[in-house]
Amino acid sequence: MTNHCCGPGYASPAEAIRAPREKLLYTIAIYTGTGIQKPDYLCTIDVDPESSTYSQVISRLQMPDIGDELHHMGWNACSSCHGDAGMERKYLIVPGVRSTNLHIVDCGTDPRNPTLFKVIDGAEIKTRTNLSAPHTVHCLGSDIIVSMLGDAQGNAPGGYLQLNKEFEIVGRWENSMGGIKFGYDFWYQPRHNVMVSSEWAAPNTFMPGFDLEEVGHLKYGREIHFWDFEKKEPKQTFYLGEDGLLPLEVRFHHNPDSSHGFVGAALSANIIHWWKDTAGDWQWEKIVDVGNEPHPEWPIPIPGVISVILLSMDDRYLYLCNWLHGDIRQYDISDPHNARLTGQVWMGGLLGRAPEVNGVKVTGGPQMIQLSLDGKRLYVTTSLFSTWDNQFYPEIRTNGGCMLMVNCDTENGGMEIDPRFVVDFGKEPNGPSRCHETRYPGGDCTSDIWV
Amino acid sequence: MTSFTITLANQGGAAFDVDHRKPLLQSLREQGVDLPYGCKYGGCITCAAKLISGKVSQKAQRALNNRQINNGYIILCVARPMSDCTLEVGVESHDKLYRNPFLDPLAAHELKADIATPLEAKK
Repeated sequence: MTNHCCGPGYASPAEAIRAPREKLLYTIAIYTGTGIQKPDYLCTIDVDPESSTYSQVISRLQMPDIGDELHHMGWNACSSCHGDAGMERKYLIVPGVRSTNLHIVDCGTDPRNPTLFKVIDGAEIKTRTNLSAPHTVHCLGSDIIVSMLGDAQGNAPGGYLQLNKEFEIVGRWENSMGGIKFGYDFWYQPRHNVMVSSEWAAPNTFMPGFDLEEVGHLKYGREIHFWDFEKKEPKQTFYLGEDGLLPLEVRFHHNPDSSHGFVGAALSANIIHWWKDTAGDWQWEKIVDVGNEPHPEWPIPIPGVISVILLSMDDRYLYLCNWLHGDIRQYDISDPHNARLTGQVWMGGLLGRAPEVNGVKVTGGPQMIQLSLDGKRLYVTTSLFSTWDNQFYPEIRTNGGCMLMVNCDTENGGMEIDPRFVVDFGKEPNGPSRCHETRYPGGDCTSDIWV
Repeated sequence: MTSFTITLANQGGAAFDVDHRKPLLQSLREQGVDLPYGCKYGGCITCAAKLISGKVSQKAQRALNNRQINNGYIILCVARPMSDCTLEVGVESHDKLYRNPFLDPLAAHELKADIATPLEAKK
């Protein structure tokens, strides 16, 4: 995607919406924790409906070692360096949460067959920065920062790893973590000189699995943090309390002038909205509250567990997944103070509403999503994290994960699972694997930030 | 070097002599045993194995709660042997490692060591 006047990405969200339709997806698939002694890998999936291999994995890039737990990933460059003709959206940075290895994958030379360009060894990152457990990757102009959820021994809060454009370790990005207790996701909005970060837990807490009882012992996060982006230090913290247990995915409006942003509180199953008021002060409120669902045989009602949220490129729709309930929801947030439910589909989940879709038994629930730039196609995968999968959906070990596509009505609202598209990761050549985050070669609705 | 014999009950009873100073994961992998692992600092549970008999030291582990420890689990990337041991290894040994917390809550004494309420000591 370099056929622009300048650098990578797009001049504006409006231009991104008009970009050509995605024809390939990159999706990670894991064997960590499954009992299959093979490395995790990056899949290339054909999503060109005119192609004979539509809805199939067309290539697989294995990582060098086992046990990484590939999870989230990010591009070396995005629209934040659109003005820099020397940059190119060519490399995916694919971290291993458990190993701390960072894999740099060349997707530009042959987009249908990505190759491993470089590995930054997890041991080196731990030694040089006292950080481990990489999560979110964002490019910052020509540099890259990665939220690291633990210190070198897996204790919170960790910090931020900075790489230069040659993928060399610069060191710690932040000047201070202030009083932050935990790390997870982050997003920045440079025209407001702000970054917002959220909280999961220490790697030593969340990696072995989810002990619900530890939430009450304050082992999981319930705060979000507003940073002075230029000074690289936290400036203000909001305590969200019971409304904000496990605040995970952070999304600002794509519009770089907007101060509105959102975070999904996974365990509370709420959407928290923030904005800067007319006096220049940050405010927050709860705009969506998904109720817990009773289970006939279980002593504790089941929360939705909002594992992901995402905004369409025009900032009109917010999508969320309730991983344990099994539904994906679409809300019209044209008025960000008043979210209006406009669509809902079911796949998998613990409530038994849609155990099978498009001929595939869905094990797990809707988990990671990625939306096309034009807002019409939402790709969804089912695995959250190997140990958490093993607790809530143990059959995933033999069934594997799957990917579905949801058609989204951008005019009137509404969603429908596409009957022609399904990728069954239960049938992978080395045995059932589990699929997680997806990226598109030309950028997507969670990759690009405008400066 | 003090060495102990580690027997893998679910790998045909294969036995390996290991150095008591090294983590079991390292010793066994060096002798060609294909084992799962992840963080290598005792925090992620991927390498958990079940101790059938024998004794290990695993002070550096942070992954296991007390119920998992009571069920015999050890974290191979940090556990060092203190005697001959028999283990079950790999995901096949994980039958009691994972639980659905909404179905099967932990009692206060079954939490991780740093937050557990101890049961009253038996006389």
